Amino acid sequence: MRPVLVGIVTALVLSAAIFLGSRGLHNFDSALAPYAIASVFLAFGIAYRYTVWISSPGARRLFRKGWGAALSWQNLRRTPTALPRMIATYLGFQKFLGARSRARWAAHQLIFWGCLLAAAITFPLTWGWFTFTANTGAGPQYTMNIWGFPVVGFNALSVLGWLLFHGLDIAAVLVIAGATYFLIRRMRDREASTGQRFGYDLVPLLALIIISVTGLLLTFSSVALHGGGYEFLAVLHMAAVVLTLLYLPFGKFFHIAQRPAAVGMQLFKYTEHGEIRRCRNCGEPIDTTAYVDNLRATMRDLKLDFDAMAEVCPRCKRLRRGQAYRTTVKPGF
Amino acid sequence: MMGRTIVIDPGRCIGCQACVSACRECDSHRGKSMIHLDYLDQGASVASSPTVCMHCEDPVAPCAQVCPAEAILVTPDGVVHDADKSRCIGCGNCVSACPMGVPKIDLEAKLQFKCNLCYDRTSYGLAPMCATVCPTGSIFYGTLEELRTERPGVEVASTFDFDGSIISTGVAMVVPRGRPVDEPLPGGAGEHARVTGSPQPAGHLEPSADNVLGDPL
Repeated sequence: MRPVLVGIVTALVLSAAIFLGSRGLHNFDSALAPYAIASVFLAFGIAYRYTVWISSPGARRLFRKGWGAALSWQNLRRTPTALPRMIATYLGFQKFLGARSRARWAAHQLIFWGCLLAAAITFPLTWGWFTFTANTGAGPQYTMNIWGFPVVGFNALSVLGWLLFHGLDIAAVLVIAGATYFLIRRMRDREASTGQRFGYDLVPLLALIIISVTGLLLTFSSVALHGGGYEFLAVLHMAAVVLTLLYLPFGKFFHIAQRPAAVGMQLFKYTEHGEIRRCRNCGEPIDTTAYVDNLRATMRDLKLDFDAMAEVCPRCKRLRRGQAYRTTVKPGF
Repeated sequence: MMGRTIVIDPGRCIGCQACVSACRECDSHRGKSMIHLDYLDQGASVASSPTVCMHCEDPVAPCAQVCPAEAILVTPDGVVHDADKSRCIGCGNCVSACPMGVPKIDLEAKLQFKCNLCYDRTSYGLAPMCATVCPTGSIFYGTLEELRTERPGVEVASTFDFDGSIISTGVAMVVPRGRPVDEPLPGGAGEHARVTGSPQPAGHLEPSADNVLGDPL
């Protein structure tokens, strides 16, 4: 029940923000209504799924500790740059992906920045938060308004104007390049294809490519075909986007909402106290004391009564078991 | 235990490292060995013992249960998979929670690695890499009936006792004939392990016993 309530509240808050930001729907573009409605459902879905996720013992504890570490005044004073640095390296430039594979890092960066650019343009547009107005009917001098307040004036024929009006085309090119790499990898590479599932692994890539290609075709239609087929393409593009937004909280895309937990985990692990817990048996460092204590509490929540084992390093666990087998099960093999 | 599974007999292990080398060839984690080979009494005995993921059944996969990112999938066939690359945040909960000492973690890549029973092979009916190359049958793959065809009368056990907590696993171990079958194997929880020098014999081999790779960022 709680996840549903959190979802409904989030959806209502977004609806209110759309209403206020579009000046009482005055700036709301009704042609884009399906996108805006889908984003309200998306808000519900993300909040619902997120609440379900953090209700499991492991995630719940890490969620609390992570936010505690992120908002801790002591941490901020001790390492003021830790949080912004981690946000940039983990969430923005995804350095950890480079440690997995450079090619995958590059492809993922293309998708990431492409999607971010597209989201930064389309969500405010469909919510009626961004509007473009011109004093003369046909331009070329335009003013960009946010929430009805004029922010920047530009010439539609200038480079800035071109970039502003073709931002989504640029995003589509980035996403197509990245997603195509991953799609080919999923078909050819056995590391990727081992245990892959169509709905979980392939549908997200296909969705990104379909959205981007239909989006580019809209531009192609208006530039080269004098709008030929535009309405059909617009419906196709809209259907692809709406279905993807609705799918987002329940499949692979949910990692977008989960990944920031890496920052919380890292902050909690390495900046909170810094004291290291060592293996009870051999003295090798295991993890930070705060983290091991947190894990033991999680294990007790889950009724995994062997939580004391968390204070023994993996190798000593194996040696203990092997030596016990050799002593009591098959003596002296 | 699972129907078709790995059965380990440490008594047959000669510590040759063939399983470690073969594991590196597995397509799902190329270049990294997920199998652990421990020398139990180095310097005094040649006893060694291979450890693969035991694919815990009850309680089901403690590693997956403590995972805060829902990254470890357990498929209906009982296989506990390695971490989903898009989800794993590299926290190391699974590494410390696993009572068997199986998962490895690459802190730089923020990614866990563990034996997935060579899912790329076993899901097509092939034996895992380690079992395929083991020259002494210390790592056997098949059903209990197939094992008994090769080794008549052999007994196996697939429960472990960790200081009173019983864990039953999908992977089994050979036990001597005559030992009560339902008696759990010792998990070694109360023991004080004798630490036996370097994890691997001196030489150029990459230490497979290091569960933590890389420095934290």
